[in-house]
Amino acid sequence: MDRGQNSGGLMSSAGLVRYFDSEDSNAIRIDPKSVIAFGVLIGLLVQLLTFVS
Amino acid sequence: MGWKGAAEPVLTRMPAVRRPEGHVPFKRKLAWTAGILVLYFFLTNVALLGLDQGEATDLFGQFRAILAGEFGSILQVGIGPIVTASIVLQLLGGTNLLGLDTDDPRDQVLYQGLQKLLVVVMTALTAIPMVFAGGFLPVQGSLSLGGLALDSTGVQLLLFVQIFVGGILLLYMDEVVSKWGVGSGIGLFIIAGVSQRLVAGFLSLSEEGFFYSWFQILTGRTDLDPIAGGAGLYQLVVTEGQLLALATTVLIFAIVVYAESVRIEIPLSHARVKGARGRFPVKLIYASVLPMILVRAVQANVQFLGQILNSQWGMPAWLGVYSEGQPVSGFFYYVAPIYSREEWLWWTAQVTQEWWQVLIRIGIDVAVMVGGGAIFAIFWVETTDMGPEATAKQIQNSGMQIPGFRQNVGVVEKVMERYIPQVTVIGGALVGLLAVAANMLGTIGSVTGTGLLLAVSITYKLYEEIAEEQMMEMHPMMRNMFGKE
Repeated sequence: MDRGQNSGGLMSSAGLVRYFDSEDSNAIRIDPKSVIAFGVLIGLLVQLLTFVS
Repeated sequence: MGWKGAAEPVLTRMPAVRRPEGHVPFKRKLAWTAGILVLYFFLTNVALLGLDQGEATDLFGQFRAILAGEFGSILQVGIGPIVTASIVLQLLGGTNLLGLDTDDPRDQVLYQGLQKLLVVVMTALTAIPMVFAGGFLPVQGSLSLGGLALDSTGVQLLLFVQIFVGGILLLYMDEVVSKWGVGSGIGLFIIAGVSQRLVAGFLSLSEEGFFYSWFQILTGRTDLDPIAGGAGLYQLVVTEGQLLALATTVLIFAIVVYAESVRIEIPLSHARVKGARGRFPVKLIYASVLPMILVRAVQANVQFLGQILNSQWGMPAWLGVYSEGQPVSGFFYYVAPIYSREEWLWWTAQVTQEWWQVLIRIGIDVAVMVGGGAIFAIFWVETTDMGPEATAKQIQNSGMQIPGFRQNVGVVEKVMERYIPQVTVIGGALVGLLAVAANMLGTIGSVTGTGLLLAVSITYKLYEEIAEEQMMEMHPMMRNMFGKE
């Protein structure tokens, strides 16, 4: 059927920021879980400091 | 070599979210997306530490609807810096000033690094004036954290750090969704913001709320002028009743969904497998509505600049006169986009400007949105590999050809060139016009025309992507066909 489209797999919907498959071996890798954990911690920290101040 | 060699050590080392190894099951993808969404809502509710909540005004003003985030929260800057960085990249990439070939793995790494670096710079550039200039984020005079006492400069620094971290966090949240989830984080945040406003616009228990105000009208608690006289009708349709806003909102929904299906289909057949046929759709809103956010962001940044100039140094009258934080005449008034009926109905008392001033402003808004929409759509198509050259290559690589034409990249590209640029320009201009019209007529919950257009078309894209995911989930063979591992 529609084989012509979608090949390449680079396009993500509404991607203002583009991510490619290739990565440099030098780059620092972050685990997605740590992003979420960091976000939660920052939120809690600010909340907590607001409380004690 | 040039700038690439010099910048390489920095750009290749930008921290990136790890890619999943192998296939991520659809349910897991949904879980990641939902997790990020929950985190996003949580963070929009965390108020900035050290902010004097009372007299702050949102520097983003009406642009908040499309730039996501929440005023006075950790996510104060929203996706503003990401969008601005994207504009810079689009302009550099679209005019080929960077000399980056996005097919080359080395250049891809550089592109990604540059993108990230730009967002970091833009986040700082957005956060600095917000905190340190004028009264956009008034700070508490002093703050004591445990044993540590901060003076107002210290509190400002603290505010800056929070906003900056929030901006960077949004970038990485987007990356997590892009790599591990469904769609993109940016799209998700836009939909989240717009939907929230839309729901509030319907359900809110105040004058703003559609159902609430109709409850008031039907139970006779709102004083209506007689309907036969026309004044009452005006109240029902335009002001209290919000019927016009409802109609505009529904109409935009319908038009976007309809326009998604308007397409020119280029027939394809397989070069070797007889009977394997396909179609390449060139959609009317081919470049999607996303370039629109770039135009709006340009306008937002101009207004941003005006606000800062005005609060810091003041300005001559021809450049701008401000009243209650809004430009009322001068250059910054004319280039401000129109956001509601109250801003252009010059025969009502709410508009203090002359009718010709309003007309000039409408003219400029339409020109910017239509022209800008078309221009950014062209850049968008070029930088996201949707242009004639890139699509011709894709079709060629998948072994398809256009029946009746030689199987050759150049030939396919020629055919594509007949449609893609024209459709892109017409689509971009049309979407621009639609956004302005929707703003002028008003929308429920004042989500703005652009916000609504973005939300509907992103949701539609998301739906398509989910459908594709599910198909691949059910038929693992399809993964090869869609070019994914």
